[in-house]
Amino acid sequence: MTQPPSAAGQDGAPTRFAPPTQRDAESGYAPTVEPPATAGRVAATFEALRYACLSALADLAVIYTWKTWTFGWLARVLCQVAFFALIGRLLQNPATTDYLLIGSAVVIVTMEAAFVTASSTWERGAGTLPLLVAAPTGPFVVFVGRSIQWLISGTASANIALFVLAPIFGVPLAFPTALAAIPLIVLIALSSYCFALLLAAFVLRVPTFRNIVGNITWWTIGLLGGVQVPVTFWPGWVGAIGEVLPLRHGLAGVRVAIAGGPAATILRDAGLEIAVGAGWLVVAALAFRRLAEGGRRTGSIEFGE
Amino acid sequence: MTSMDLRDGRTLRLPWPRHTGFVAGARLQLAIFRRGWDSLLALVTVPLFTIAFLAITRHAGRTDLTAYAVLAPAVVAVIGMAILTSGEVVTQDRSNGSLELALAAPSRFPIVVVGRVLVVTLVSLVAVVEAWLVAWIVFGVRVPVPHRTAFAGALAVATLATVGTALLMSSVFVAARSARTFQNTISYPLYLLGGAFVPVPLLPGFLHPLCRAVYLSWATDLLRDCLATKPVPDFWPRLGAVAGLGAVGFAAGYAILIRVVDRARATGRVGHE
Repeated sequence: MTQPPSAAGQDGAPTRFAPPTQRDAESGYAPTVEPPATAGRVAATFEALRYACLSALADLAVIYTWKTWTFGWLARVLCQVAFFALIGRLLQNPATTDYLLIGSAVVIVTMEAAFVTASSTWERGAGTLPLLVAAPTGPFVVFVGRSIQWLISGTASANIALFVLAPIFGVPLAFPTALAAIPLIVLIALSSYCFALLLAAFVLRVPTFRNIVGNITWWTIGLLGGVQVPVTFWPGWVGAIGEVLPLRHGLAGVRVAIAGGPAATILRDAGLEIAVGAGWLVVAALAFRRLAEGGRRTGSIEFGE
Repeated sequence: MTSMDLRDGRTLRLPWPRHTGFVAGARLQLAIFRRGWDSLLALVTVPLFTIAFLAITRHAGRTDLTAYAVLAPAVVAVIGMAILTSGEVVTQDRSNGSLELALAAPSRFPIVVVGRVLVVTLVSLVAVVEAWLVAWIVFGVRVPVPHRTAFAGALAVATLATVGTALLMSSVFVAARSARTFQNTISYPLYLLGGAFVPVPLLPGFLHPLCRAVYLSWATDLLRDCLATKPVPDFWPRLGAVAGLGAVGFAAGYAILIRVVDRARATGRVGHE
């Protein structure tokens, strides 16, 4: 069970547009608002995304110092991966140790990406969700950027856990092919993030369930993605669900890379992981649009929980 | 007995379980549980832990370790709730702005907290039933308990020891600035050192002394032995170790909480520091 640390108490983003001044009011000046051109809309979208990312980085700086991240969070991640890897020792099966260590290290990135469900609801708690829905730029753009702190932390945690603990537990790493695991973990982070954004759209309606949804999500993805046991262990229909979830293809690619397998297989797995992530990104965008439209229609986007 | 009459006619109130503050704390915690699911997060993840652990042992063909795989999720959930829910008891009061009122009330605040963490720990025992049920429903596995009385006794003492640890956590977390970071940090180290799944002898040797200082390592070993068919060796001394370490945790937690409360009163910084 894991809950993301809160970044409560952080200062809001700077206001970019000044309200009309008293002189404007006295002179009868009324600015005319014209819809911006396509290039302007694209620029505004990227600007909103940039500010959302900056907000996420500010959150990261509030949540962790380098000391609390290293000696707190990273230490916990290492213990979590070691906890599962040691089960292989209990089973007296070195192959199981290898399997569990790689799976448990890589799933860390999905676990942290699932924190998106919680951090997205912070906007509702802060009362900024109605403002985001009312803004000309769609709220989805903001939510895509506002939780990237988990991508940064998760990618670093998973890679460190994998490459530090593997030698300790005697897991063979076939260098240089094993280094392909690093970009694959980045891809898993992105696809898991896209999937978690979809769930965030639902959790924004019921923020009380934010941590429960996040935890169930990453555990289920891990179970169906081959983290603890190969996907063939489950009945066929269960395995089929895993095919369209994040992590599965990327993790398979990581296992091939660490074993020094063929580059073509690694690239195929990477491609499938990108396709899965892109698919969930589109679905998440639609879910956010529905959230915003439904909220405007019914007036259900209120402040707080 | 909740009070005793002194010779000068005054009545000395004792911190006994029937104390009003204790009951109020217990009732408050029950009301919080009824209000939201978030404080039951540890129980929600029990089925997933159980499925994962059973899948690992069954895939490896080690059905002899089924009892380990079913007990571990329960242990993880009990400790998880001690960390996540009990650990936040005082911190939540502080962020809700109710800590000032709780400290100003006639009841001793640590007694209220003891009532709350006891309820949290008792509710967390649902995880034991949950894990056994998930094993049966999902994998069709029934885990027998050959030493039922010993298992019940060990579980009861382990529960009381967990109350002590939970009290310690709530005290330490309130003294720390970021409770959530602390909570996230200590969970897996505790599962590891407490031998939640893998017994202590299988951990690296340099960790053994540290593991034996954690009541959980004694408790999990004892509970696992109660699930085996052979006689439970050294039952009473091991049960005593669980009780003793649990009592040390309780005393430390109680003392730290009193100190935190006294400091907050003295500095006038009861609310947000």
